[in-house]
Amino acid sequence: MGDVVNQPVLELRRVSRSFGPIEVLHDVDIVLRPGRVHALIGENGAGKSTTMKIMAGYQPPSQGEVEFDGQPVRFQTIAEAEGLGISMIHQEFNLAEQLTVEQNIFLGREIRRGLLLDKPAMRRRTRELLARLDCSVSPDRRVSDLSNSDKQMVEIAKALLRDTRVLIMDEPTAVLTRSETAVLLRQVRALKEAGTAVLFTSHKLDEVSEIADDLTIMRDGRVVWSGPAAEMDEHDMATAMVGREMSDLFAPKLGQPGDLALEVRNLNVAGHATDISLSLRQGEILGVAGLIGSGRTETFEAICGLRPGQGDIRVFGKPVQIDQPWQAQALGMCYLTEDRKTRGLLLDKGMHENLTLQALERFVDRGRIDRAAEDDALTRAIADFDIRGHRDSLIRNLSGGNQQKLLFAKVLLAEPRIVIIDEPTRGIDIGTKQQMYEFIRNLASQGQAIVVISSEMQEVIGLADRVLVMRQGRIMGELQDEEASEDAIVRLAMGVVQTTPAEEKTV
Amino acid sequence: MKHFVSGLAVAVALSAPAFAQDDTKVIGVSIPAATHGWAGGMNYFAQEAVDRLDAAYPQLDFVLATASDPSKQVNDIEDMVATRNIDALVVLPFESEPLTGPVQNVKQSGAWVTVVDRGLSVEGIEDLYVAGDNPGFGRVSGEYMAQALPDGGKIVVLRGIPTTIDNERVEGFQQAIEGSGIEILGMEHGNWNRDDAFTVMQDFLSKYPEIDAVWASDDDMAVGVLGAIDAAGREDINFVLGGAGMKEMIKRVKDNDAMIPADVTYPPSMIATAIEVTAVGLVSNAPVSGDFIIGSVLVTPENADDFYFPDSPF
Amino acid sequence: MNAIIRTDRRLSMTVVGPVLGLIALLVAGALLNPNFLGWDNLTNVLARSAFIGIIAVGMTFVITAGGLDLSVGSMAAFIAGLMILMMNKALPGLGVGIPVVLLGMATALIAGLGAGLLNGLLITRLGIEPFIVTLGSMGIYRSLVTWLADGGTLSLDFTLRSFYQPVYYGGVFGISWPIIVFALVVIIGEIVMRSTAFGRHCAAIGSNDQVARYSSVRVGHVRLMTYAALGMLVGVATIMYVPRLGSASSATGVLWELEAIAAVIIGGTVLKGGFGRVWGTVIGVLILSLIGNILNLTDFVSPYLNGAIQGAIIVLAVVLQRESKADG
Repeated sequence: MGDVVNQPVLELRRVSRSFGPIEVLHDVDIVLRPGRVHALIGENGAGKSTTMKIMAGYQPPSQGEVEFDGQPVRFQTIAEAEGLGISMIHQEFNLAEQLTVEQNIFLGREIRRGLLLDKPAMRRRTRELLARLDCSVSPDRRVSDLSNSDKQMVEIAKALLRDTRVLIMDEPTAVLTRSETAVLLRQVRALKEAGTAVLFTSHKLDEVSEIADDLTIMRDGRVVWSGPAAEMDEHDMATAMVGREMSDLFAPKLGQPGDLALEVRNLNVAGHATDISLSLRQGEILGVAGLIGSGRTETFEAICGLRPGQGDIRVFGKPVQIDQPWQAQALGMCYLTEDRKTRGLLLDKGMHENLTLQALERFVDRGRIDRAAEDDALTRAIADFDIRGHRDSLIRNLSGGNQQKLLFAKVLLAEPRIVIIDEPTRGIDIGTKQQMYEFIRNLASQGQAIVVISSEMQEVIGLADRVLVMRQGRIMGELQDEEASEDAIVRLAMGVVQTTPAEEKTV
Repeated sequence: MKHFVSGLAVAVALSAPAFAQDDTKVIGVSIPAATHGWAGGMNYFAQEAVDRLDAAYPQLDFVLATASDPSKQVNDIEDMVATRNIDALVVLPFESEPLTGPVQNVKQSGAWVTVVDRGLSVEGIEDLYVAGDNPGFGRVSGEYMAQALPDGGKIVVLRGIPTTIDNERVEGFQQAIEGSGIEILGMEHGNWNRDDAFTVMQDFLSKYPEIDAVWASDDDMAVGVLGAIDAAGREDINFVLGGAGMKEMIKRVKDNDAMIPADVTYPPSMIATAIEVTAVGLVSNAPVSGDFIIGSVLVTPENADDFYFPDSPF
Repeated sequence: MNAIIRTDRRLSMTVVGPVLGLIALLVAGALLNPNFLGWDNLTNVLARSAFIGIIAVGMTFVITAGGLDLSVGSMAAFIAGLMILMMNKALPGLGVGIPVVLLGMATALIAGLGAGLLNGLLITRLGIEPFIVTLGSMGIYRSLVTWLADGGTLSLDFTLRSFYQPVYYGGVFGISWPIIVFALVVIIGEIVMRSTAFGRHCAAIGSNDQVARYSSVRVGHVRLMTYAALGMLVGVATIMYVPRLGSASSATGVLWELEAIAAVIIGGTVLKGGFGRVWGTVIGVLILSLIGNILNLTDFVSPYLNGAIQGAIIVLAVVLQRESKADG
């Protein structure tokens, strides 16, 4: 694939970046060309985010050059980069939650007629853009009411409006279901055909193989491989990212479930789930699959007292009434949220405070918190869960994988006997994923009863002893380990009887 | 008795239509709410006058409204004209500027206007002006101070909320003590508030090792000043002169308290006078227009009985 | 690792900022007036800071847990009025003595606790914004005290007041009771904030109440307790306040709420919650009191400008803390 195809639009040359004394990027080169999709992959903490931020003008390089259309540029503000047609979509969206979809898309670019806003024109344009993205959200919906995938689409619509020449996306598919991912990838292809240069990061290597033309792999702040994507298969990519051979992702299953831990009969969660019945045994991992919005999260939040629901719940054989999460915890049941940044961890606090928050009473000695015990607990958690990062750094500055491990350690500190884990590996790299799977399997082998809710089919199949599939707030079916295949899950999740290729389905 | 005020207003409103066709006349009274001691006394006397006159003159109706800020007072007055069609307005303006226009409109509607205590910013609107004498208040206080300290002395002064009223009083005081040998060590604003006066006085005591007397200029502030002096255990201060005529202070004058040898009136009852004169004028067509200035009187143990109203809240 | 931005420098500035401000004021005061550093003046300032200070310690917890209470000034006035009425009423039966004073103190503590619980219940159970709830109760208590006093002033019986007065003016080893009580409240407050589960939970809730809820923290309960504790401390402050001048009126405690909130923020507690420190609040209270004290002790500026100076110093104290945040 030659440099002759077309001139680079945006290029980093030997870029380094330091924060204080710590250099996080070393001599990074990366070239984006019009009409090509460039994938940037690497483990969390490899330097992908910083690289993207430098390209989008959020941060200046400490050394090296950024070139746009062959000219060196030095962006003073993000607006300058935007002015040249560089848009970046963040993993944590950059949308005004209280404004509507339309207001967000046109934020700062409102169409005016005289002094007033030309609302019909903006409305029309919004509908066009959303239609291009196969997104059926109403322009009047508040962004705070949207699902993550719809927010993603709004971000992309925003970028489309701005005649983007370079589109940079930080893990665009992390929060999307398969069908939503398919829509997104189709849109990326359309942008590419229109001549846009696209850079994206992803932990889903199958997507990378599917859509990327060029590929850059980073590890520890350096580029370790760069070239045409076609030259690497998924296994090679993973090996290059991790720097070692990847063994099998999933630990072997045990298949020796014990006594009943949790029984739910006829649970209803207003607006989200109807007539849910399920059971869970000690030492068992129950997988829960389904599309985003199928009521999986809401069902288990209701079971743990995080939202109102009606139904009969028995914990270790005893009928219980749970209205508040602390009541569930007192019964030995904990829910580990899918949303670690807004529900799981206090981003502006340190590791100690976060780790012990859920089980703080265990660290209280005669009314006062025993800081030495807290410190010991952190030391143990860091060792047990391989958490990397400075002990005194704020959670905000940890990578996603380390945040997830800390969240895991935090919930386990409460010593729950029933653990409900929602999206255990969302947005974390493959090496960490493997570790998480091991932790979960270990937990089950110690006799804990575990529920894993996941949108990643591989994960559910590889991890669970038994899989429940939900669709539109109902349990569509239960698959034993040997029956659980992607095909079977997708059929139940989509509510179709016949086998159809999953990737081509849209909701 | 604020709860009673609103009750009265409702009762008057309900009974109004029955008298509407005959010769019943309505007097509106608009005053600031009881946010400090003197205003509390003024509210008491207004209420008392309205009750008394309402009983004495069956052909008169009264509407009494208290306002906690100038814009509320403007609304009150507009409501009185619009819904009660008042024949006379007795108003103690919260502030001069914002009330001038609305009161002028009332005047143009043909109603009688009585302004109390604080003048409007345009002259000649009111038919009757009833007011205390602020320069006079300062002068009487200053003259007493000069007479009580014949050989001169060092005093400190607590001022009220920074307003024209306060400026006039202080100027009157300073003129009266000129040439008497009295030295004003310091002046600070105690905002007619006990707690603020306590704090200011404590700091005066730290700052000046020798003080002969204090012009607290207000009885509420005098309470705070006395508290601070007691706490510090200072013996050098001979007396504290307050002002306005609060009953507790008048009582101490009456009882020959050495620290409170005298008081200077600025009677909150002037509102009652204004309402009464207005009522008489409306009923009898007697010539009552003009300016009524109620002078400030020095209260001493000899005449204290005349100024002691144990039932008044002030 | 990806961008570990060390926070030490910023933290140190937020610690040093208010302390520097306090030291600067002490130096300025000492230079401007030789009496400033005298024992009498310093104890005066500390004693008069005690009311706002005790309330501000409670406010620190409320704000740290993401709440706000605008009603404390009116609440103090109302409790003072109630206390005086109660003591005057019980006086003929009990006579001047310790029982009647204890009755007054109990009245203040119970009324404070009740008022705080009421605010807290409206906020946590009905889910109304703290700003609205306490704005409402601020108006209610303010008119209640005006009504109790018939628009005038409620005064404690003179002989009873003389008996009760040592609670403000008396003390041990030359340190008056308000200062001692204030110090005790601060020490307890600091320990609770720093090293108990309650303090930690307050910070967690203020930082992100969803995270706290998902971590099985009893969010509503903790919030309720912050308001109850604040109400109780308003009662404690009132117990000290009443013997000073023996009276309560509608002018009592005006703007105390804003002074308390300002002190909390000057001390480095974050207004939107999530981080609080009690010792900082003490420094905030002292800074506010000292400004007034210094302005009274000197003829440096026109007294008309006192408010402007106070305002400028408040803003400056907060700016000092933020200074190094720019590159964060």
